Amino acid sequence: MTSAPPAKAHPVAAAFTADRLTKIFPGHTALDDVTLAIPAGHVVGLLGRNGAGKTTLLHLAAGLALPTSGACHTLGCRTDRLDSPELTRLGLVMQEAKFIEWMTVAQHLDFTASFYPQWDRDLQRRLAELLEVPGKRKIAELSTGDRQKVAILLGVCHRPALLLLDEPMSSLDPIVRARMLDVLLERLRDDGCTVVISSHLLSDIEKIVDWIIALDAGRVTEDSALDELQESFAEWTVTAADARPLPAFAAPFILAQQRSDRLARLTVRTRAPAAAEEFAAAHGVAVQTRRLSLDEMFPLLLGAQGPAR
Amino acid sequence: MPPLLVINPHNGVPAYRQLMDQIKFQIATGVLPAGTELASTRALSAELTLNPMTISKAYGLLERDGVLERRRGQTLVVRARPAGAAATDKHAHLREHLAHAATMAGQLGISRTQALKLFRETLDASTP
Repeated sequence: MTSAPPAKAHPVAAAFTADRLTKIFPGHTALDDVTLAIPAGHVVGLLGRNGAGKTTLLHLAAGLALPTSGACHTLGCRTDRLDSPELTRLGLVMQEAKFIEWMTVAQHLDFTASFYPQWDRDLQRRLAELLEVPGKRKIAELSTGDRQKVAILLGVCHRPALLLLDEPMSSLDPIVRARMLDVLLERLRDDGCTVVISSHLLSDIEKIVDWIIALDAGRVTEDSALDELQESFAEWTVTAADARPLPAFAAPFILAQQRSDRLARLTVRTRAPAAAEEFAAAHGVAVQTRRLSLDEMFPLLLGAQGPAR
Repeated sequence: MPPLLVINPHNGVPAYRQLMDQIKFQIATGVLPAGTELASTRALSAELTLNPMTISKAYGLLERDGVLERRRGQTLVVRARPAGAAATDKHAHLREHLAHAATMAGQLGISRTQALKLFRETLDASTP
């Protein structure tokens, strides 16, 4: 995309790449000229509001839909040519996963396992216990939360190299969500797999993601390491050092401000280590800085590309 | 190593930075004497529910800063610090906290004399 910051150097091969990817549904452009690369071994948080294009991007990555224009590669293979070598290394946990409803959970696990030579029975047993999956119940009788757990089991027990998860935790209680994060981390440690996870539960994924891709109206608005975002965004509480009222501040790194005569709150994005000190000295004010959580950053990641860092 | 490490994933400070600060603090306070072995990336990742990359990053930077060193094989240990360095480390820690207090004093319009007096009183109150 043209408004993107200079491409970041990815030290390792990409697990997924999109090159000018566009997907148009009748009357609706779901993805608009998306170019990105998901580096292998990372845990990527895919953020965006409802309808931003997250699910479409995951569907295209999995080969469940084909692009209107542009191309994408998953595990090095063009997604219109994905075949057994790639598909057996791909794990999908999609919203509204399609199951064979009349089977019991155990039967369904056996059925799905039969497609994967590398299916890990021990892992399946362990996860079923950890996530409290009711093996004897029929799929059709499961609650939304239990269906989600089954979808997770079906998505990870073949130990994929790339795991795509679309809102995998929305119906899980906090205890199971925490265990689910443990499960993902274990896959990272044991298999070094790449994970792409879309979720609105930002405080959950904040613990494990190390890369953020934000989409807004089908366009990429952010593609950065989480550390880098955390070190750039801050809230500054600015107070006047003397009796004069505070001026209106203008600087390219100030994204938003609320102010009265004596106090201003600025939302800033800058990587300069001494930015607050320099600002304080230049304006004759005192500045306290506070870092932002992912929840607080979320709206800032969707707007226009942030100013120069 | 007994971790005694607590990472708050929501306070906006990158987790690798929190890890580095806490390990340095434990070294400065003598909780981790020179030669102590650190938990493996794998073990610490499981312990803290943190991305293993985060831990490698923190360890890597501490190694670069000369705080940790790699022994034969992969084991990371706390590096011996030159005699004066321990005091410098401690001062650096305190200075960081005082910087916040100093800005706060300025914002509240508290004079230097008053601020120093308050610090002295706080010290008296917190030292047994």
